[in-house]
Amino acid sequence: MHYEAEHTGSFTDMIEIEKLTKRYGQHVAVDHISFKAKQGEIVGLLGPNGAGKTTTMRMLTTFMPPSEGTAKVAGFDIQQDSFEVRKRVGYLPERIPIYPDMTVWGYIAFWAQLRGVKNMKQVDAILDRVQLLDRRKTLLRNLSKGMRQRLGLAQALVHDPPVVILDEPTIGIDPQQVIEVRDAVRQLGEKHTVLFSTHILSEAEQVCDRVVIINRGRIVAQGTPATLRAQLQPGAHLFVQISGTSAETILKLLRGIPGVSDVQPNGNGFSVRSGAKQDVRAEISGRVASAGYALLEMRPVAMTLEDIFLDIVGREATP
Amino acid sequence: MSGTWYIFRREVIQYLTSPLAYTVAFAILVITGFLFVGDLTTALTTRPVNAAVVPSFLAFGMVVFAPILTMRLLAEESREGTLELLLTAPISDTQIVLGKFLGAWFYYTIVLMITFSYQIILLTITRPDLGHAISAYLGIWLYGGATLAVGMIFSALSENQIVAAFLTFATLLLLWFAEYAAQIVGTVELAQIIRQLTLGGHFSSSFGVGIVRLEDIVYYAGIMVVALFIAIRMVESQRWR
Repeated sequence: MHYEAEHTGSFTDMIEIEKLTKRYGQHVAVDHISFKAKQGEIVGLLGPNGAGKTTTMRMLTTFMPPSEGTAKVAGFDIQQDSFEVRKRVGYLPERIPIYPDMTVWGYIAFWAQLRGVKNMKQVDAILDRVQLLDRRKTLLRNLSKGMRQRLGLAQALVHDPPVVILDEPTIGIDPQQVIEVRDAVRQLGEKHTVLFSTHILSEAEQVCDRVVIINRGRIVAQGTPATLRAQLQPGAHLFVQISGTSAETILKLLRGIPGVSDVQPNGNGFSVRSGAKQDVRAEISGRVASAGYALLEMRPVAMTLEDIFLDIVGREATP
Repeated sequence: MSGTWYIFRREVIQYLTSPLAYTVAFAILVITGFLFVGDLTTALTTRPVNAAVVPSFLAFGMVVFAPILTMRLLAEESREGTLELLLTAPISDTQIVLGKFLGAWFYYTIVLMITFSYQIILLTITRPDLGHAISAYLGIWLYGGATLAVGMIFSALSENQIVAAFLTFATLLLLWFAEYAAQIVGTVELAQIIRQLTLGGHFSSSFGVGIVRLEDIVYYAGIMVVALFIAIRMVESQRWR
């Protein structure tokens, strides 16, 4: 991409955040967070409401200055070279900002010109891409919520920025549109570096290459959904269903197996947890068979990002 | 500079498509039209026409119209969330405020130019004092710019357009009314000082009677610069909230 050529040094990190902090009086909204995003990477900023996601994004877009720490976007410092950063960032705030009395085309053209786009064909191209070209003369006040969302996306992309920052882009739209927006974000990853925030975990898992989990202004975990799962899942987790005897007997039998750390009844079966490196499956099936019971089902339970998230946030909440 | 131009252009288009702006223009034209006809009728028998009839009315008129014309400018941006996008676009806060102010001033200028047609009507029936008229129009053009700049401060201050309009109205009313307050003050020196500070004090006895003085031009330009400076700082403060 042409943006890289402007730099003499080589860099692959399009977003570099270093101990970024934002304080409002006594309240610390963002607390010394650091992470990076490579070119073409889709990074999900995940956290409950009020975790500091929007504040982080607002600092990256140069809307507000940090209290401490630094960040670079496309190699430019957000405070020293704020105009250079602004030229290279496409931003979609959580609430889609609109001018109700403008037309679709006029609105996109306005932002394009402010950001230095000379070729107005880019406006048509982006409207075509978000399927709003046939609505080019419609007043924004008459657009549906889903269309406004697409309009917001068009506004963020019209100047072809290398970094795109999307604040909860799937909030408040219907399920079909959510799927469309997610697809759109995934496609963005081919050309742009995308930082997008969400509090929906499955969404982050589906869309992002990497996830940064943030809670109470601090990063509590980061990595690909797979590594997070591997790192944070303390051991193996199995679901087993056994018939032929009472639940108490089965509980006793399972708890007696070496390596099993915990057994809990779960529906019509049992949740069995074991140490990380121990495979207890053979032992379970062996013991069940020799005791004369029937093993109806035994399957590993993968920990979803949701479980990991709830686990971490839950641990944070109870000091 | 191009940033200012794009903001300016958007604001002008916004005025030209806004029912409220047309209502203001309509009110100004109807009232000044009646005043002009009334003045002309009197002038037929007793005295020459008053070349400053429209500007003299607008000296009070802008106390009411400036809040209506400016209340939306920044208040709506912060309410709709578009200010966040403007503040993250590669333009400065000064360009944003300046573009909007110039848009409002330009719209006011258009309406003012339309009322100048009364002078052209006069030219066809008599020999009006054009020098007096031009002086008064120049004065009220600057006066209007100053009131619009004051409106920018309150539009930047509040998300609520009604609040912005009311605060602008109250401030302008004070600046206008103080000229009359100066007339009832016992001390001449104090009265002079008060008069020097009011909007009307730099219009009614100079531009209004056909005298163009540098000090009056500087006064209105000064009000604009100070008010816009405050408005820019107000916009900037959005980043700290």
